[in-house]
Amino acid sequence: MFRIWLLCMLLKNKILRKIFACLLTLLAASFAVFAAFEIIPGDAAVSRLGSNASESAVAALRVEMGLDKPFLLRYFLWLGGLFRLDLGTSYSYGIPVSEMLLDKLPITLCLTLMSMAVTVAVSVPLSIFYAKYARSRIDRTGYVGNQLLMAVPSFFLGIIMTWVFGSILRWFTPGGYVSYKKSFGGFLSYLILPSLAIAIPKCAMSVKLLRSAILTEADKEYVRTAYSRGLSTMEVLYRHVLKNAMIPLVTFWSMAVADMVAGSIVIEQVFNIPGLGRILLTSIANRDYPVVEAVIMLIAAVVVIMNYAADLICRRIDPRIRER
Amino acid sequence: MLLEVRDLSIEFHDHGIPERVVEHVSFSLDSGEILGIVGESGSGKSMTALAIAGLLPRKKMNKEGSILFEGEDVLTMERKDLRLLQGDEICMIFQEPMTALNPTMRIGRQVEEALRVHHSELDAAARKERALRWLENVGLNDSERVYVSYPHELSGGMRQRVMIAAAMVGGPKLLIADEPTTALDVTVQAQVISLLKRLNKEERVAILFISHDLSLIQQISTDVCVMQKGRIVEQGSVEHIFERPENDYTKRLIAAVPRVEL
Repeated sequence: MFRIWLLCMLLKNKILRKIFACLLTLLAASFAVFAAFEIIPGDAAVSRLGSNASESAVAALRVEMGLDKPFLLRYFLWLGGLFRLDLGTSYSYGIPVSEMLLDKLPITLCLTLMSMAVTVAVSVPLSIFYAKYARSRIDRTGYVGNQLLMAVPSFFLGIIMTWVFGSILRWFTPGGYVSYKKSFGGFLSYLILPSLAIAIPKCAMSVKLLRSAILTEADKEYVRTAYSRGLSTMEVLYRHVLKNAMIPLVTFWSMAVADMVAGSIVIEQVFNIPGLGRILLTSIANRDYPVVEAVIMLIAAVVVIMNYAADLICRRIDPRIRER
Repeated sequence: MLLEVRDLSIEFHDHGIPERVVEHVSFSLDSGEILGIVGESGSGKSMTALAIAGLLPRKKMNKEGSILFEGEDVLTMERKDLRLLQGDEICMIFQEPMTALNPTMRIGRQVEEALRVHHSELDAAARKERALRWLENVGLNDSERVYVSYPHELSGGMRQRVMIAAAMVGGPKLLIADEPTTALDVTVQAQVISLLKRLNKEERVAILFISHDLSLIQQISTDVCVMQKGRIVEQGSVEHIFERPENDYTKRLIAAVPRVEL
């Protein structure tokens, strides 16, 4: 009993340490983000007033926006705001950044979740199928197709899809979009193609990883033991092999989610979806730093959290990792 | 007769040139008996064992002869019929208990697995009760803790005991032990041997004991087959083989010099 209790304490401690490391990473990221906009040329006050504005007007606005304060002070003020979830006010829209993000976040979140759901739902059975027919003709044909889909970038798939389903088959209006506030079903239906465009290359990559992981695991001796107990091939695959083969994939999927959020910039542009990626692009163009900084911090947080989640899941799957 | 292997030949086809690993092997094993197969690595003894357990791949391999288990041919049996025997009537334990156990599955689930496959009439509680009883029966006194452990948390000897419990849980008639003590140190080896002998006596399970170590065979079995290069070169009772060996190879084995042929 005491040993179990001690182990629990140690594990908790490990988790605490990990969380601390995550926060530290985010802190470093926040500094980098803030410093980056200090270094790149351009002045927010000038871009807001236009290049014809008088010097005194610019100076006054700089004071109003707090740009006259020293860099480190501004950084700490901004950081303090982050902790209170006060992300500042958008320069170009004059509304709180948090309000803007809350409005756009569900869009990108939905897109990411749908893409991830497609990736998981398609890649796992497909990998098992390919692994089962390993080195057969089906497998070899699949391999070529898989390589092809892996190599195609999402935005290109997006353009092809818009062309085929939008312009030729006319299943949807290219560039059309329904707000989730107006009709959630309509909103989701407009996200189907973008999420497929994101999911297909990720799916191909997952299949490649999982297929080879399954084949590696299938050669291990515990598989023979499982067969010696009278299990069918499918039972052996699902009960024994899959769990062990999932470990490399969990890490890949966590990176995929982070990549999907960051990659929304491109795909939202292709499909004309007003999500996070879209405001990031327009804010960069407008030098709307509070918004850009907030979005980048959000992406950084997703990356860190997903990494942490992958770590937790791997620990859960493989007890040997827990003890390291 | 529980098991009758008749004129068994196994040929590999996966490297282009066919490779005969087992040639015209015949022997039989009565229920409740212990038969030892001894031979150096590559003599075909493990292949023979896997063939009896129905664990050889179905493709890329040419199998001749027959393996009659209670009169039915394991070699030509449909896969679904074979699966009814595996884990229930015929069980197998392997050389390396660490890799033979699934590293990410708790011991309890692995011990119970044969019950889950073959005895759907048992509910989870009954399965657990049987698994715990078997863990104790193979000498793991701390059965509740072992039940929730993972393989890497146990010692080599404990893992092999777990393997034996997992094999015996369904009450098999034949236990195939493929070098079960080779990966263990000498004291643990002796414990596992006496455990297998006890199970043979108490549960009336026939054991096919495969080893490269003639002294182990002498300790455990009543009859011996000596294999070399895929063939049985000599077979008979332990006394006969040890006292009046006829074959040169057997004589050399008995001379007990572990030969390394380069």
